[in-house]
Amino acid sequence: MTTVNLQYYAQMREQAGASGEKLTTQAGSLRELYDELRVRHGFSLPADALKVAVNTQFSDWSRTLDEGDTVVFIPPVAGG
Amino acid sequence: MSGFRIATTEVDLAQLRETLQHPGSGGFCSFEGWVRNNNEGREVSGLEYEAYDELALIEGGKIVDEAMARYGVLAAQCVHRTGDLKLGDLAVWIGVSSAHRDEAFRACRYIIDEIKHRLPIWKKEHYLTGDTAWVACSHTERAHEHEAPHAHHHAHPEPADDTGAVATPPFRPDYSRQTRLREVGEAGQAKLAAARVLVIGAGGLGCPVLTYLAGAGVGTLGIVDADRLDASNLHRQTMYDARDIGDRKVDLAARRITALNPAVTVETRAEPLHPGNAAEVFAQYDLVVECTDDLGSRYLSNDAAMLTGTPLILASVYQYEGQLQVVSGKPGGPCLRCLWPEQPAPGIAGSCVESGVLGPVPGVLGAMQATEALKLLLDLPGAASTDLLLINLLDHATQRLPIDPVQGCRQHGGCREVARRALEQAQGDTDVDVHFEHLDEAITAGFRLIDVREPAEIAARPIDLPSQAVPSGQVTEHASVFAGGRVLLLCASGMRSSHAARLLRGQGERNVYSLAGGLAALRQASDRVAG
Ligand SMILES: [Zn+2]
Repeated sequence: MTTVNLQYYAQMREQAGASGEKLTTQAGSLRELYDELRVRHGFSLPADALKVAVNTQFSDWSRTLDEGDTVVFIPPVAGG
Repeated sequence: MSGFRIATTEVDLAQLRETLQHPGSGGFCSFEGWVRNNNEGREVSGLEYEAYDELALIEGGKIVDEAMARYGVLAAQCVHRTGDLKLGDLAVWIGVSSAHRDEAFRACRYIIDEIKHRLPIWKKEHYLTGDTAWVACSHTERAHEHEAPHAHHHAHPEPADDTGAVATPPFRPDYSRQTRLREVGEAGQAKLAAARVLVIGAGGLGCPVLTYLAGAGVGTLGIVDADRLDASNLHRQTMYDARDIGDRKVDLAARRITALNPAVTVETRAEPLHPGNAAEVFAQYDLVVECTDDLGSRYLSNDAAMLTGTPLILASVYQYEGQLQVVSGKPGGPCLRCLWPEQPAPGIAGSCVESGVLGPVPGVLGAMQATEALKLLLDLPGAASTDLLLINLLDHATQRLPIDPVQGCRQHGGCREVARRALEQAQGDTDVDVHFEHLDEAITAGFRLIDVREPAEIAARPIDLPSQAVPSGQVTEHASVFAGGRVLLLCASGMRSSHAARLLRGQGERNVYSLAGGLAALRQASDRVAG
């Protein structure tokens, strides 16, 4: 089990009902983590429409999780 | 109830005055216009007023509403007489009640000035000599155009000289507060004066960008915006006023910039850029600031910036947060497509219309875009940063994320090559969006109609012509529907249908088109009175 800090932006913040949370997960990769979160929060966006960053660096979806990682999901935004 | 009416018989003043009673009112001010016994040297025996009633009522109601909004008064009424009037008769009555006297006087004055100016009411004078004449009342002065703290120049930025206004000396910009900065100085100011900056979108982001760049003395500002001002824009688009609603934003913005800094040259474009001209337009500018709420425009700007090597400053907002990204335009990138390679389908990325936005949020992000623009033009420290910046104004969280082009476009030939291909493909699709004023014209032209709105939207506003319904998110699963003959996709605003049409064309369905502007752009069946 790994405990990670999650941050949500834009419509994902709305769908999660929070701008962040701490989560203990069995997910082995960012992709698995996102699959778990889609079930949990009903995120409408597919992973390939998003960018994901870990510890302030953009990351590959196959990256594994380390204890204490800060994971940020970033959807594209169009408002102006 | 409208605050303006037309009376054909004598007016009951006591009753009118009664309607303005308000518990919060500390003052009441009225103006009465009477028929006098002379005009321009001729002795007058009576008057006749004639009005174009329908238009006068609409415009008169607007004037009273404007006065109330402009001065914050509690109640206002105006009555204009028509028909035959004798000497001493009341021709027009205006009453205003408000908390304090000053705004009551001003609102009263505003209403009479605007009425004289704008209402389709004509006056025929009867003279003692027996003859008559229609008299124009167009030489009136508008006192509110000279109000110092709220000076509001609308159609007449320079009051006519016959108003007695004192001629002001020519304006000289004073940039001393910024040239005092060691990094700016006179040399920096000269760079700004020589700079040409294009601002795409004069909305929530564009207002602060244009205002600050004009104030800073950027020599030439180009503005692209196809929209007209809507009341729902005013909470975040700070260059505009309530009375500007319905006017083209490029014109309003140009006027505002000229008023703010006459030294700036303004170039306007009331048509959005398109794949056929974007690169050519970008090449005419030193820097472009992308301020639209349109993903298509964002991607087009990205590609044009990469192709022409023009630096581009992107920003977008969502509710209480925003994203900022500077694309240097240098061949190695990074660029927008390094992050999100393909333009997401409409609905995936949130917009202000659907998701809402707090007014100052685009203000903050727009001010940051203006700062980035000045940093680049002046070559200030930090100007080269191409990190993606995320800001949440609710909890003040910010994230600065370096973008690695190796993980982005470099895998597909590099940012410039990716941009070139995208632009080339978009140019092949330039005939996707077609304009019609009425849907039956599309049917006459041989189109089959396919409604790509969601079922609930269709139920709320059905179209009364034969059509098939396929929601925009499912078009690729129902490709067979689109085969054979020309089909026209339609949605509320033309965004989803255009995207769906491009998707289908990408799959080889070359006969698919989209209704430009969507149902919102169709002409209404009942044309209303212009006003
Ligand atoms: Zn790129």
